[in-house]
Amino acid sequence: MTGKERMLTAFDRREPDRVPVWEMAFNEESIIKLGKFYTDDLPPMKFAQQMTMEEKVKLLNTLFTVARELELDGITSIGLLGTEPVDDEHVKDGWGRILRVSEEGEATAVGGPISDPSDLRGLKAYHPQPTDFLMLMASVGNLGDGVAQVLVQPGPFRESWSLLGSMEKLLYHYVKNPGFVKDLAQVATDYILEVVDMAADNGADIIALDGDLAFNQTTLMSPAQYEEYVFPYHQQITAHAHRRGLLIFKHSDGNMWPIMDGIVDAGFDGFHPVQPQCMDIGEVKRKYGDRLCILGNIDCTYLLPFGSEEEVEESVRETIRVAAPGGGYVISSSNSIHPGCKPENYIAMVRAARKYGVYPIDVEG
Amino acid sequence: MREILEAIGKAIVEGEEEETRRLVEEALQGGVDPRKILEDAMMPAMEDIGERFSRGEAFIPELIVAAEAMQRGMEALKPRLAEGERGRGLVVLGTVQGDIHSIGKNLVRMCLEGAGFEVVDIGEDVKTERFVEAYREHRPDILGLSALLSSTMQRIPEVIEAVRAEDSGALIMVGGAPVTQEFADRSGADGYAPNAFEAARKAKELLG
Repeated sequence: MTGKERMLTAFDRREPDRVPVWEMAFNEESIIKLGKFYTDDLPPMKFAQQMTMEEKVKLLNTLFTVARELELDGITSIGLLGTEPVDDEHVKDGWGRILRVSEEGEATAVGGPISDPSDLRGLKAYHPQPTDFLMLMASVGNLGDGVAQVLVQPGPFRESWSLLGSMEKLLYHYVKNPGFVKDLAQVATDYILEVVDMAADNGADIIALDGDLAFNQTTLMSPAQYEEYVFPYHQQITAHAHRRGLLIFKHSDGNMWPIMDGIVDAGFDGFHPVQPQCMDIGEVKRKYGDRLCILGNIDCTYLLPFGSEEEVEESVRETIRVAAPGGGYVISSSNSIHPGCKPENYIAMVRAARKYGVYPIDVEG
Repeated sequence: MREILEAIGKAIVEGEEEETRRLVEEALQGGVDPRKILEDAMMPAMEDIGERFSRGEAFIPELIVAAEAMQRGMEALKPRLAEGERGRGLVVLGTVQGDIHSIGKNLVRMCLEGAGFEVVDIGEDVKTERFVEAYREHRPDILGLSALLSSTMQRIPEVIEAVRAEDSGALIMVGGAPVTQEFADRSGADGYAPNAFEAARKAKELLG
């Protein structure tokens, strides 16, 4: 089986030849640290936003080398929206959002083009540009059809709050201005539908709909608020992805239990990353394994940064025992391979997945 | 008097900002002790939201609008509170260096203010030296440190050590998604809370 066939079989909730291995994201630093195991041709250690075009190409090639050497079954691309620098810490994107860059993760909106409901009428929508998909195109060109091509796109909740420049502002309007929240979600959704089209045209197989809806304890919004302000837009997006022949899964950290039924009903094909501090993957498998492909769960908060390779292997073994039988499981970390994760531990995770992830699963409890 | 205090509490719980401010002004004009308004109407309303939150009946949006209403009420109330009576204590709050996440810290700020604390929020991605400077400048009753990532969480013991070099008796609370009681203990923190409401409770407990 090719990596892509493995991933698609898992999404179809059937057993491939072995558990597919994939990752939602690697930071620049993580790519370079992992790359050191396989190549000397590395870019300098800095943020992608600060790299020259030549260095960015080198960074991407390093990622592809890592993916090839570790035989990853899927690869994730991000949209590379053009930005212009505002100051040392901030950039501005095509929507007019001010993003703060960070060495520890993705850039986050701290200012938006909309500050109150009256600004919505004057908002000039940004339309995705072909250059936004350069990473996807490079990935398809470099790794070909043998791996599943995943494109990450923030969902309507995250796009909405970043247009306001603050999640708190959006959640405030959940109570105060329901009509505004819905109008804003539709603006975000219309944009996301265009992204889905361009992802399909450029060789994506799977959309990862990003944007946390929960934190450690519970969801950010009530189940009723999810039903009203997020669910209808999720439905539009999953239906469109399916029309375009793409699979789509929801990513959210945190305790998603209160709205898991909604995630299934909205038409998602999978759920990532089942954060082990908040959700038990065995329980997720029992309750939703017949309707969702489950992705993730290998702890990147403590285990991958601070654990030993033996502990990583044990966690992979146990997670495969619980989540992989019957198919419908893709192994990955519980969020991403961020700069805190030891590269040796990530490599140990992939090796252990190959050791224990051969179907039929034969791992004792 | 009971009616108006109840009405203030209800307006806060429902996130009615204008109504809260109007009712606080009305109560003050009617001669109600400002401290009574704070302690018998406003703070219990925020505690009520906290209890509903822990029962899964209220979520972050309800907390945010209640905190906004509380703020509006405080605008009317603050000038009438006697000097030195401005709350339960002063907390300086910030997210450690490298971490640009703000929502967790902001929710803690809302809950602390809701519990009657004064809060100086020094923002996100705050360098260790800046925490020390802010501590020196404000001499808070409690210093609060937040981190959302397990990588940036490693800054917490560094900040604690630097602040304790300034004041060995500094009371320090820590929190954030990856932070645990064990990590807090290991870092030498005086308090840890798993969420914003618990943080306010813990702060009250620390100050006895």
